[in-house]
Amino acid sequence: MDRGMVIFLGALLTFSSSWLGLILFPYWQLNNEKPYQKEPGDDPYPMPLQGEALAGRKIYQANGCIYCHSQQVRSEKFGNWWDENGQEHTGADIKRGWGSRRNVSRDYIYDNPTMLGTMRTGPDIANVGSRYSEAWQHSHTFNPRALNDWSIMPSFAFLYRKEKVVGERSEKALKLGREWTVDPGYRWRPSASEWDAILQQSGDAIKSRYLTEPTHTGGIDPNTPDGKKRLLDFWLTTEEEGIQIVPTGNANALVAYLLALRKAEVPVPEAKE
Amino acid sequence: MSSVTVIPLHDRERAAAERASIDGSCRGPVLYFTASALFWLLAGSILAIIASAKLHSPYFLTGIPELTFGRVRMAHLQAVSIGWTSMVTMGGSVWMMCRLCRTELIYPKLLYVSATLWNIGTLLSVGGILLGDGQSVEWLDAPPYAPPFFVAGLGIVSAWVAATFRRRREKHVYVTQWYILAALFWFPWLYTVAVFMIFWSPATGVVQPIVNWWFNHNFLGLWLTPVAVGTAYYLIPKIIGRPIHSYYLSITGFWALALFYSWAGMHHLIGGPIPAWLSTASTVGSMMMFIPVIAVGINHHMTMRNHFHRLKYSPALRFTVFGAITYTWVSFQGSIESLKDFSEVAHFTHYTVAHAHLGAYGFVTMIFFGLYYYMIPRLTGREWSSSTLIRIHFWCASVGITIYFVSLSIGGWWQGRMLNNPDVSFGNITRYLLPYLFSRTVAGILLTIGHIAFATSFVMNLAGWGKKRTGGPTFFVEKVA
Amino acid sequence: MNAANVAMFAVVIGSIVVFGTATILALGWAFRNGQFDNFDQGAASIFGPDEPVGEPTDAFPK
Repeated sequence: MDRGMVIFLGALLTFSSSWLGLILFPYWQLNNEKPYQKEPGDDPYPMPLQGEALAGRKIYQANGCIYCHSQQVRSEKFGNWWDENGQEHTGADIKRGWGSRRNVSRDYIYDNPTMLGTMRTGPDIANVGSRYSEAWQHSHTFNPRALNDWSIMPSFAFLYRKEKVVGERSEKALKLGREWTVDPGYRWRPSASEWDAILQQSGDAIKSRYLTEPTHTGGIDPNTPDGKKRLLDFWLTTEEEGIQIVPTGNANALVAYLLALRKAEVPVPEAKE
Repeated sequence: MSSVTVIPLHDRERAAAERASIDGSCRGPVLYFTASALFWLLAGSILAIIASAKLHSPYFLTGIPELTFGRVRMAHLQAVSIGWTSMVTMGGSVWMMCRLCRTELIYPKLLYVSATLWNIGTLLSVGGILLGDGQSVEWLDAPPYAPPFFVAGLGIVSAWVAATFRRRREKHVYVTQWYILAALFWFPWLYTVAVFMIFWSPATGVVQPIVNWWFNHNFLGLWLTPVAVGTAYYLIPKIIGRPIHSYYLSITGFWALALFYSWAGMHHLIGGPIPAWLSTASTVGSMMMFIPVIAVGINHHMTMRNHFHRLKYSPALRFTVFGAITYTWVSFQGSIESLKDFSEVAHFTHYTVAHAHLGAYGFVTMIFFGLYYYMIPRLTGREWSSSTLIRIHFWCASVGITIYFVSLSIGGWWQGRMLNNPDVSFGNITRYLLPYLFSRTVAGILLTIGHIAFATSFVMNLAGWGKKRTGGPTFFVEKVA
Repeated sequence: MNAANVAMFAVVIGSIVVFGTATILALGWAFRNGQFDNFDQGAASIFGPDEPVGEPTDAFPK
């Protein structure tokens, strides 16, 4: 026996110990968890993803969403803060409305890969499916700043298609003002001279449209700088004429996945606290 | 210096010739590994700047799907972890192993195959991720077609290092060899188990993140750390010409690291849907890491004592000592971070990102830079052509990583405090972080400037622009005795 | 405490005993075998006649 053997055996033993303790034990404990059924006839929880939602998980994976969004609501006892009276509180995740209960291992038995996440550059989305509508998700995915001006999330405009409206507007078409749709992914604003040209051409139409809004009382004078600006701000929030933004298959799949994320909704017995 | 004994000239020449011949036998494969690593470092740096800029300026390059934040971030991690650090680890291990075993490298051509496999794997991984095949499994984002290349490439290197060790002429097994042998045994196992349990035969639910974090933490702990610490154990004594202060301590440190480091990692899932005992076990492992870290810290410090002035003269020493000191600090910080109360704030924030970079850059990468500055001239037989470039590299790297660490640590800590308080809106947290995220981009640009200076030096050396080394231990600025 | 937990504890404690004993035996063997002797010599093994103790081997290029 020489030193080589000592090193080999030592390395083997120390490493096996951690492999046994951190991998094999949890594997035995958790690998065969079954879905939960309250009464024999009830639908089991959780259910495996299917169809579009399953395809959407691939899009979620491919674009690295996990690097800003965790999928785990933590216990009411986790993490503390003090209010202005110096009173200590815990459990921000649930209080932020990210879920109605903490997550447990059973919530993930059909996840593959299991994207718990380790970063909250964006909010937790374990339960995002029960928090927002499909239309909201599409607009937000297309350009998050259209809904939250502070957002630093990338826009996924490349998952959407800009097209001419043929016949009726598509039901799925995003309801966003032209500032978001003229240059998909960015926020567009015409330069002063461009705006002048636009006013020249269709100023009257824009003005009459402006006045049809019930809140816009008192008229507007497009010849004053202030009126010009107010008209522009209004015009930017109106939809582009004859143009629509519709989700591609990938966008539909991604949003289907997001809507299927309801990990902290159904009560399970082990998630008491 | 009184400790210098007079050595007969012919002994000296013979030993120098032997060393030169050993270095010569590694030249091709090690230069291939290190040149490839450097390429991936540059690629990773560019990806890093893009990803960083996108976090404070979301409209930057927004229309290109290949460059969306999530993909660039995954590609960056693969480029620097698999491309840069792993390739230096392998190349450096081969060279140090040959030197320490006092034996020439056999069948060097197969190591070219290994490095080529590794490069193909990394290219598939980085390219595949950008094109939309990323896996969103942290540190293991490589698309499914890449891992076989890594397993094969790694197998060759491990076998070569073991074979070199079997052929050793030096009777004593130096502590660096312990670290290298262990790392090259651990990593293939670690990697294969992780890929197997997450991709090839996926475990159920939360077992996957458990395996994932066991891998991630051990990637640093049992792959990069042993080789980087081993490198410091070789370079520091060699450069200053003084044996390790306490060899006993270095061996103890090795075993403590082997035993405890592998148990850390689960605290990254703190508060998550995993059994509480797992996080606790990792907290214990992390706290025990104080032992090997203090052992290494004391040892390196005592070895350097009275020799700190040499930092002025030796570029390799400067980088290596920077890395060794950072090792102590980043490990202390890591142990503290595993504590529940601390982690409740730091988890899910940029604080962890700062810590990861202090480890992977401030410690591992800095020591590897030191290794390059020492090893490359001995392989090519040429000195570095410009000390200005080296100085630019050092100052950009050290100032850059400091800005990076300080800004994200402060921002991340307050981010965590605010996340724990539901009265602070998410929008306010995001706005609060912007200046810190912007500082990170500045730091990234500084680091990249350093890397470009470094790559320029490297290419000039390979191209033969440096002064020829004149045999024996050159590089003296100070006259000995 | 259910059966699964008892089994877990048994395995944990069992493995602590097994690995602990193995570690102690290995250390005992190493001591008797002289693995811990002569540390100074070991530390000096990286030096040779061409790069002896006392001579620094790296500096900024001139």
